[in-house]
Amino acid sequence: MIICLSFLIVGVFLSLSNNLQHMARELSTNMVVIFFFDKAATTADIKDVEQKALGSPLVSEVKVIGAEEARDRFQKNFPDLKDILANLKINPFPSSLEARLKDTASASGEIAKFVQDVRRMKGVQDVQFNQDWVNKMQSLSRLAKAVGFFLGGILMLASFFIISNVIKLNVIARKNEIEILRLVGATNVFIRIPFLFEGIALGVMGSVISLVFLLLAIMLFPVYIGSLGVLQQLLNFRYLSLSQALGLVSAGGAIGCLGSLSSVSKFLKT
Amino acid sequence: MSDISLQIRSGDFYFITGPSGSGKTTLLKIIFRELLPSRGQIIINGVNILKIPSHKIYGLRRMMGIVFQDFRLLFHRTVFDNVAIPLQVLGEPKKEIRRRVFNTLRMVNLHQKMWDLPSRLSYGEQQRVAIARAIVNSPKILLADEPTGNLDPELAFEIISLFKEINRQGATVIIGSHDRELIRHFGDRILFLQKGKLIGKDSL
Repeated sequence: MIICLSFLIVGVFLSLSNNLQHMARELSTNMVVIFFFDKAATTADIKDVEQKALGSPLVSEVKVIGAEEARDRFQKNFPDLKDILANLKINPFPSSLEARLKDTASASGEIAKFVQDVRRMKGVQDVQFNQDWVNKMQSLSRLAKAVGFFLGGILMLASFFIISNVIKLNVIARKNEIEILRLVGATNVFIRIPFLFEGIALGVMGSVISLVFLLLAIMLFPVYIGSLGVLQQLLNFRYLSLSQALGLVSAGGAIGCLGSLSSVSKFLKT
Repeated sequence: MSDISLQIRSGDFYFITGPSGSGKTTLLKIIFRELLPSRGQIIINGVNILKIPSHKIYGLRRMMGIVFQDFRLLFHRTVFDNVAIPLQVLGEPKKEIRRRVFNTLRMVNLHQKMWDLPSRLSYGEQQRVAIARAIVNSPKILLADEPTGNLDPELAFEIISLFKEINRQGATVIIGSHDRELIRHFGDRILFLQKGKLIGKDSL
């Protein structure tokens, strides 16, 4: 049970980390920098900024949004607030330029420098950029993985001792048999092999059962939680990759193998 | 035990005798290295067995057959399984194991109870299973601690005759026993122990 639980915890955190990494990737592929112009910005100023953005190797697409278009967008997106806009005598929306960054533009230093350079250009009043989110998401993903490995590591150590104790009890129960085997000339390897298989089987079974539980949990989680809007994406767990699942099963086998080796060895020293 | 110095030649047939507590079992245990003496040396085939590392002791034990006073049978395994252990340890093929186990059980007249559990056998039958296990791999040295202790005289004579036959085939046989009748009948060479000391050797 504890063996299964240990691997389940590692699995949950690995899955959470996978999810966060996936989100970070999604965000970074849709990274858009929006530069807002002040009211005094001339068409030439906007043209300069557009040229500067188009000239950057980080930018894949540039779109200038005029003040009128910005107001139309707002009205379309927030139809309930239409009346408030109608009562205003002026258009409060500034012109802006949306620069979509290339998928390959991941070096945050270069992006920050580009954003700063454009920010200092004449007519640019403000900038909106979601790289912070990407960075936070990536940090969170790393943190989830680290916490998973830390907790999982502690529990795996507990599993190691549990497996060794289970096998030790078995060794004690079969002490007579081991003694007879030794007296008729069995090698230590011959005596160890069945216990070794037992340990490996325990570890592998524990990890496989934990993977099945994890799969069930991932499948049933959305059913119980229902729709959570933005949170849904965060909590929409992804299953482990094949290599991660195989890694967990191998770790189970290795822990079982080590546990049985350490417990049987104590009985073969005499 | 102390002050014991003796030489047993290959192919000898020895009885170790003496009253209860004289050290018969201890001496046998020292020979197959279940017990380690605090001093001295035991040389078998030119090798001081006390210097063999524990993980290599199997080499010594594979050339021995041992009949324990308490039999040391596995009660959850059949008679066949118990007798087959020394051959399984040697990695013999299954067919060969079946053949040799059957032949050995026939020698001790237990072949009809091959698939029984030892717990269903009488004390004397259990003893014969222990004997069959000791001789199944044709050992070079056969050690037996009170191998006829629970057998009726007729069967006891049969068993010792069997040991004699194994001895004639070249094995060295050392039997711990206090059965005077048996020793008188079969004892070529006898070691007398008392209170852990060798008090006499006798060759008939």
